[in-house]
Amino acid sequence: MSVRKLEILQWFGLLGGALVWTAQHVVGYGITEAECGAGGLHWGLQNDVWQGALMGAAVACVVAAELAAITVIVATRRSSYESPPPPGRVRFFAIAAAVANVIFLMIILLDGFAAILNVTCRQG
Amino acid sequence: MTDYVAVPRTAGPRLSNSAGWWGMVILVASEATLFGAFIGTYFYLRFRTTPWPPDGIPKPALVVPLILLACLVATTIPMSFASRAAQAGRLCATRFLIAVVLVVQAGYFAYEVHDVADQIHRVDITRNAYSSIYYTLLGADHAHVLIAVLFNLWLLMKLTHGFTTYRLNAVRAIAFYVYAVNVLTIVVFGTLLSARA
Amino acid sequence: MTTEAIPPVSRMRTERLELIWEERPGLLGWLTTVDHKRIGLLYFWTTLVLFGAGGIEALLIRTQLAQPNEHVVSPETYDQLFTMHGITMIFFFIIPMTTGAFGNYLIPLMIGARDMAFPRMNALSFWIFLASALFIYTSLFMGSAPNAGWFDYVPLASKEFNPGRNIDFYALGIIFNSISSTLTAGQFIVTILKSRAPGMSFNRMPLFCFAFLAASLGLLFALPALSADTIFLFLDRNVHTHFFDPSHGGSVLLWQHLFWIFGHPEVYILIVPAFGIATSIIPAFTQRKVVAFPLVAVAELLVVFVGFGVWAHHMYAVGMSTISMVFFAAATAMVVIPSTIQVFAWCMSFVTGTARFKTPLLFIAGFIFMFVTGGLTGIMFVAIPFDQQVTDTYFIVAHFHYIIFGAAVFPIFGGMYYWFPKVTGKLYYELPGQISFWILFVGTNLLFFPMHIVGLLGMTRRVSTYPDGLGWTAYNLAETIGGFVTLAGILLLLGNLFYSYLRAPAAGPDPWHGPTLEWTTSSPPPDYDYAVIPRVSSAYPNWDPVDRELDRRNLADGVLVLERGHEQPAVTPVDARFDEVVQMPHESPWPPILALALSLVFLMLVIGRYGVAGIMGIFCLLALAGWHSTEPQEQ
Repeated sequence: MSVRKLEILQWFGLLGGALVWTAQHVVGYGITEAECGAGGLHWGLQNDVWQGALMGAAVACVVAAELAAITVIVATRRSSYESPPPPGRVRFFAIAAAVANVIFLMIILLDGFAAILNVTCRQG
Repeated sequence: MTDYVAVPRTAGPRLSNSAGWWGMVILVASEATLFGAFIGTYFYLRFRTTPWPPDGIPKPALVVPLILLACLVATTIPMSFASRAAQAGRLCATRFLIAVVLVVQAGYFAYEVHDVADQIHRVDITRNAYSSIYYTLLGADHAHVLIAVLFNLWLLMKLTHGFTTYRLNAVRAIAFYVYAVNVLTIVVFGTLLSARA
Repeated sequence: MTTEAIPPVSRMRTERLELIWEERPGLLGWLTTVDHKRIGLLYFWTTLVLFGAGGIEALLIRTQLAQPNEHVVSPETYDQLFTMHGITMIFFFIIPMTTGAFGNYLIPLMIGARDMAFPRMNALSFWIFLASALFIYTSLFMGSAPNAGWFDYVPLASKEFNPGRNIDFYALGIIFNSISSTLTAGQFIVTILKSRAPGMSFNRMPLFCFAFLAASLGLLFALPALSADTIFLFLDRNVHTHFFDPSHGGSVLLWQHLFWIFGHPEVYILIVPAFGIATSIIPAFTQRKVVAFPLVAVAELLVVFVGFGVWAHHMYAVGMSTISMVFFAAATAMVVIPSTIQVFAWCMSFVTGTARFKTPLLFIAGFIFMFVTGGLTGIMFVAIPFDQQVTDTYFIVAHFHYIIFGAAVFPIFGGMYYWFPKVTGKLYYELPGQISFWILFVGTNLLFFPMHIVGLLGMTRRVSTYPDGLGWTAYNLAETIGGFVTLAGILLLLGNLFYSYLRAPAAGPDPWHGPTLEWTTSSPPPDYDYAVIPRVSSAYPNWDPVDRELDRRNLADGVLVLERGHEQPAVTPVDARFDEVVQMPHESPWPPILALALSLVFLMLVIGRYGVAGIMGIFCLLALAGWHSTEPQEQ
């Protein structure tokens, strides 16, 4: 695989999961505020539909990012993360991404299922 | 005096953007986050209030703000050409294009000051939470346009003495700021005009 | 590059560099300095004084609480004391000590640079920081110190319930201080991206720099939320807007959301630089590379990034809906993982290396113990029902003091010992150093551990006294004794360092065989930091003899010496390929002048003279114009 392609996969792996979790977190929380507040009631937001869709889309993106990171790790298996750049740096970021995306995936699944399974708009 | 050595060295293939450009990116990131907080506040208050805007406050105007927005956003084009002209070492073209941007920005700012003063006369900032966030968001955006005006004024003054590496870097950095302010204004106007929905 | 055994041609080059980079002597030199080392020292001394102030506030609090129904201070004074203690320790000690002192002094040295990317802006950060500290402490001497807690919740902080100037000092002081921190954060980010030595790609950058990059990114994106919040508060109090007024469509919870969107990343910003200090000390005293380097690097960034998503776990008791709270519970549960990765990596480095428990490493061991203890109670707060029970009790106070004192202050103390030889050229005395550690360890545990128990027994936060017969007395007395034991430890530590500075033997450039670049230069470093820009091919450059030999040859041959002026190289951001040579500025009076003008703006605002504040703002613009009237190459 060319260095350019590896770099693209590396950056997607590193940033994709982080960005998509950020979006799912902000939009997901925002939906709960909107549907449970007086101003948003008339919009008729369906919590389970929105949270389910967000979770599904986010999981798909994070999994794609993780696969990108793993692809890079496999493609650079003959290098070390201490090797000169670009292969060393690419491998280094891919290892970081592989760990980070697992954490993001767990957060997305936890809060997505919790937001669906809990009673909508019940005060905690 | 133009540092003629600087021009081809900088106009040639530099590998990456200057530290000054990155510094401007950092400033824009910080300001964008501040606006994120303002916009988040707008929607947070909106989710709690019905109707929005509250009774007695007219919905935001549409046509004139959109025309003004288009004029401001259009400055992206001459600013972009100014940046390219600077990298090519064309001093007169750079100065002319920056002057065009400056005039449009200054005109936009002057009109907006007059318009906001007129709005405040009809609906005071102290009326309620809607007016509080409306004028704060709008005022903050206009303040950033004013900063762009000041940046371009400083740039024009500096370029009366020709190019140096420092000034070439400044043109690129300030161009980035102008693009960012234009995008920010689109987002702010979109947020405020969403109250018409 | 050490000063021993330098050939004549190399010595000629270093002497030329000394002339070019020589700092102006005397008071004027310190006032106009833009040198990162001098600025780091200015931060160090200033934050030490403010640490003393925060410590006095803490001891007054503990004295007041030592016995039930005490009257050492009035309730009103007590409110100001605990508020100022929190503000001082967070904004005026830990952040400026870690970023301003340690970061400023060490980052250019660790990345092989001669200075920060924007030296004059670096100086400005310090002068604004000093001015903001004086601004806030002016309120204390006026008897109008902030008094609604460091978190300053509305409606207690609103004009209706707090009509004096106390909260105006808070709002404006925080905004003032955040300008300094934002400038520092931007400085570190650009310096790390652009000023690394050629060859120091991200996979070869020291973990200390990753930690400071993470903290800087955290500051950059967290501070605007606090700025927005305090702007709204100032407007509500003085312009009569209604951001936080429910009767006119506002929300008191809006304050809390924006505050904690800043406040939680802030606590990671407090401890992540300390992680960086730990990851510098551990390799030096175990003589092995840190275990799982890429995982530790990403963990430092992740803990700050995920930390942005947990803010409402400070608000579980305000009545949000459960489906809102679960987003934050999930992120809170997972944010522990990056911290755990680091703790395991540090412990495995201890176990698999040859640990020498000198004073710096003792403080790091203490830090790990305190951080894990505080982290365990932090995990408990993930459970929303448990959190709701202990909210606003001393259990919370125990948690965050274990984290902040254990995970931020202990590494600061360890770092003071570790880099003392580099900064001063002297070796500290080891035995008093170790004794100071043990006194501090015992003192802080005696001070903070009983707070867990007394919190579970129901003692609430922010009470100026308590009645007898609740079973709290013995614990409070123990905590107060622990506070004074801690004081003794701190005095011994500072006394040891001071005495060592005066009388201790010379340290040489590298007493620890440390791994990073600062140990390749003299102690203290010369004004130009490095005679030749170092060659880097790993994250532990001082352990690469081939590269260090190449540096010596480069110096003799005049390669990458950059001796035509105040010069340093700029590189590409990711892979640190050489890009260009940049001219750096010399001393400048504009940073202190601009800071002074800005101080006048804030002073006028706090006394309600808005028109005059505007005029002072014009002076700020004039100072900025003066600053940019000369370009670095013209100096």
